[in-house]
Amino acid sequence: MSGVLRISSALAWRNLWRNRRRTAIMLAAISVGAWAMIFLTALTQGMVNEMIRDGLSVLPGHVQVHHPDYRDDPSIANLIPVADGELEDRFDAAGFQDWSTRIRVPAVISSERETRGVTLLGIDPARERNFTFVDLETLDGRFLDGTEDRGIVIGRKLADTLETRTGKRVVVMSQDPDNELADRGFRVIGVYRANLPSYEEQFVLIGKRTAQQFLNVDDRVTEAIAIGDDFREVEPVLQEVRALMHGDPVTVNAWWDLDTYLGAMLPMMDGFVLVWVIVIFLALSFGLVNTLVMSVFERVREIGVMLALGMRPSAIRWQIVVESMLLLVFGLVIGNTLSFASTYAIRDGIDVSIVAEGMEMMGASARLVPDLTVDNVVLANVVVLVLGFFASLSPAWRASRYDPIEAITTVQ
Amino acid sequence: MTAVRCVDLSKTYRQGDQEIRALDHVSIDIDAGDFVCLSAPSGGGKTTLLNAIGGLDRPDSGEIYIAGERIDTLSKAELAELRLHRIGFVFQAYNLIPVLTARENVEFVMQVQGVGPAERRRQAEQILEEVGLEGMGERRPAEMSGGQQQRVAVARAIVSKPALVLADEPTANLDSTTSDELIDLFTRLNRHHGTTFIIATHDRRVMGYARRLVKMLDGRIVDDIRQHAA
Amino acid sequence: MTLRLAWRNLWRQPRRTLLTVGAMVFSNVLLIFLISMQVGMYGLMIDNGLKFSTGHLQVQAPTYIDEPKMRLTVPAAAALARELRGIDGLEASARGVAFALAASDERTYGVSVVGVEPLHEPSVSSLPGLINAGRYLEEDDAAEIVVGAVLAKNLKLTVGDELTLLGSGLDGSFAAAVVTVAGIFESSIPDLDRGFSAIPLGFFQETFFMGDAGHLVVVTAGSIEQVEEAAVEVGERLPDGVVLHDWDALEPALRQSIQADLGSSFFLYFVLVVLVAFGVLNTQLMSVLERTREFGIVLALGLAPGRVGRLVLAESALMGLLGMALGALFGGLIVSYLSINGFTYPGMEEMSAQFNLPASIHPRVTLVSLFAGPLMVLVFAVLASIWPALRLRRLEPVVAMRAAV
Repeated sequence: MSGVLRISSALAWRNLWRNRRRTAIMLAAISVGAWAMIFLTALTQGMVNEMIRDGLSVLPGHVQVHHPDYRDDPSIANLIPVADGELEDRFDAAGFQDWSTRIRVPAVISSERETRGVTLLGIDPARERNFTFVDLETLDGRFLDGTEDRGIVIGRKLADTLETRTGKRVVVMSQDPDNELADRGFRVIGVYRANLPSYEEQFVLIGKRTAQQFLNVDDRVTEAIAIGDDFREVEPVLQEVRALMHGDPVTVNAWWDLDTYLGAMLPMMDGFVLVWVIVIFLALSFGLVNTLVMSVFERVREIGVMLALGMRPSAIRWQIVVESMLLLVFGLVIGNTLSFASTYAIRDGIDVSIVAEGMEMMGASARLVPDLTVDNVVLANVVVLVLGFFASLSPAWRASRYDPIEAITTVQ
Repeated sequence: MTAVRCVDLSKTYRQGDQEIRALDHVSIDIDAGDFVCLSAPSGGGKTTLLNAIGGLDRPDSGEIYIAGERIDTLSKAELAELRLHRIGFVFQAYNLIPVLTARENVEFVMQVQGVGPAERRRQAEQILEEVGLEGMGERRPAEMSGGQQQRVAVARAIVSKPALVLADEPTANLDSTTSDELIDLFTRLNRHHGTTFIIATHDRRVMGYARRLVKMLDGRIVDDIRQHAA
Repeated sequence: MTLRLAWRNLWRQPRRTLLTVGAMVFSNVLLIFLISMQVGMYGLMIDNGLKFSTGHLQVQAPTYIDEPKMRLTVPAAAALARELRGIDGLEASARGVAFALAASDERTYGVSVVGVEPLHEPSVSSLPGLINAGRYLEEDDAAEIVVGAVLAKNLKLTVGDELTLLGSGLDGSFAAAVVTVAGIFESSIPDLDRGFSAIPLGFFQETFFMGDAGHLVVVTAGSIEQVEEAAVEVGERLPDGVVLHDWDALEPALRQSIQADLGSSFFLYFVLVVLVAFGVLNTQLMSVLERTREFGIVLALGLAPGRVGRLVLAESALMGLLGMALGALFGGLIVSYLSINGFTYPGMEEMSAQFNLPASIHPRVTLVSLFAGPLMVLVFAVLASIWPALRLRRLEPVVAMRAAV
């Protein structure tokens, strides 16, 4: 840094502390703004993550393979035209983080008291333990212990409605590929809880082999799923699954195609963060420009002297811009610290169960766990600095355009 | 050698409906190493002439040469460069930078010039000693008397060894003892360094020290007297 | 006097005042926009959440709301509905609700089968108006059914096709019926289109061995504001053994999602208002500091410190009012435009579908949505200038007059 820049920067620094009260108020405003930007973003990001994670736990899987007609007509008639054994071999060899093949069809479940429409899942419990939406810790009874398990696991809310419990029998009705009615009695071996109560009403689980026998489909499934490390980085998994299924008449979709609501969440979230950060910045910028204008106005005479002594206008501009940037950087440091601290304070989440059903309507659970992502923090800080730079150009430009004679003779 | 040459300078201001002829066909040559007083009543044009010579203000017409170089056609940046290296300014109201200490105010010009820190400090301390402010370098302007502040301003004006120092009513805000000390300082500097001084003033004591006294009225030079300084 | 002085003082530093007022106008416009959007959206959420089937009030068996079971019935439901229709301004219709397996030639799905009074259902639900093929049920229909569009597609059904319903009756015994598709509705609500069907109440009672019982009597009042009054009147006529629930109890998610949304918006509004307040604080503090000498003079002339303080508050209030007027003007213009043309942004369609909302929102311009935000800004602006105003009380005239300008 040359001498001129250094002296301009030093002057900027000292001028900042000349009117401590004003600087303190502006710092407080910037800090609160930065805190609000980052903290609310972390909360929203946390909520979105939770919604997507919950949503994906039911889908489940980041990438899914179906019969081309299955999504429009989720019937047992639309089976993947590849034998399950063959699918399993292919997915096993590919080395995904997690994968599974399953049967998912609509069905009707009846106790002696009640009848309800549900989604019947035929799964391989050993595979799905890692990513199931069933909370295995609070499970009443036991989980399925193999693909040939003859029992059924149902949700707590469904159990209540059906007035049934572990050990009792229920009847499940569905159809086989030829539209013949398939019905069969199952013993309830487990009653599960899930993060979102609506899942407890909708999904019942049986062993995959048992489901194949029940629905009269030999060694076939309706979906094959693969899960990668991160739901945001699904493209490699998608490519790999496409390669695995190359040549077979199936569709391969990423989760955002399968659940467009969830799919819209991520870009919405990014949009929200940007809009929120800019709105807060704009609210701040009036104060920032005002502070700079006042600060320049107070110093007209000094600025005139510096110009008269031969300092270039560009060095004056630099001085004002540095002053503004210092103000912003300090405000950001405090604001970031505050938001880290407040995010840390509620790292286990805040309980919003008083509006639990409303949150569920949005697909979110009753616990809000903030997620402070590097991306969002960087975005907020960069936006503030970049826009702050532009906002300070106008006062800086004004300062550098003073006529030294007039400035010196200005009565203050 | 001619330090400053002004050829047929004119400058008109508008103040409300009134036109003020601040400079009316002024021509003057000032020798290097001279000690010149410009005296005129308020509005007589002395400040305008001083500002024009210092490149702070442009005449409407005419030519100005500093050490043979024409300056009225220079760009703003070139004028800034000129003031930075070759001209020192002393203003009526001291005009120190309040957030800087006395020493830093003196170093300011050198710093803008790009002089290294050690050299800057050495020269600043030396010059502060020369103007009689030994040991006051770390005070801020608000902690100094008017005379002390004006001496800092003088130190700042001469520290980079400009060939020309322009002073506009330097004693206006000082009591008589302090004024005498300041003028004494000016003459000493003039003698030791050969610096050309042009001082706009209507302080009779200051005029007494001048080797050349130029009187102005309504934008014109009405008298130009060579005298032996006291 | 104070006001005139305050107004003049504001324009001593027009740039500063304009920037401060600008911050207020910006926040006010934003607040007006957001609050109007919310008011509009909440209205839509409530209307859309209730109009398809819930209605404003429902008569049910006492524990039916927690566990909607077949055997928790309302006796003589149609007669009760008839009686409630006698109340001025109310509409009522009885319903039976059952789950059944619906089997066409090719497919079988579990569906919700609702027995309705064909004549009265259209006055409590908007579904009968959403038929896009065939017709809705009529008074003398029996083994006729109306199904959702997605269900019809999944079952590969068209109008006139036959459908077998299998389920359990009131006593738990096997219930079955063959019905003909009279019409297909499309509501754009995935749950309804995928799994909802309606048959005449009489036929429903026959099929599921219900006698004259139903599960619900759905009541609607003229508007959501009249529900409370209607509830009192309906309550007086209820027989023993049934209870009345309002929409809030029937659809708790609706109010809660509004509350959750309000909670996060309040945070946002609060931050905006606080930022503006900081701006006002800064401006007023500076302007008080600048005028220290001037204040010293007026204090020396004998003006009470309290009056000088009030002058500062009056200046902030004037800025707040100016911000309010301009904010309401610009905000009102923007919102009025949008209330006619609708507002939409990318991704909103998917979001809206989740909440049963159309893809574009028409904000609602009300007094509350226009002035709630700006009023908040005004109050905080005046609050923010209390500190600068209080500083004046400690001002010593002699010291103040000596203050450097």
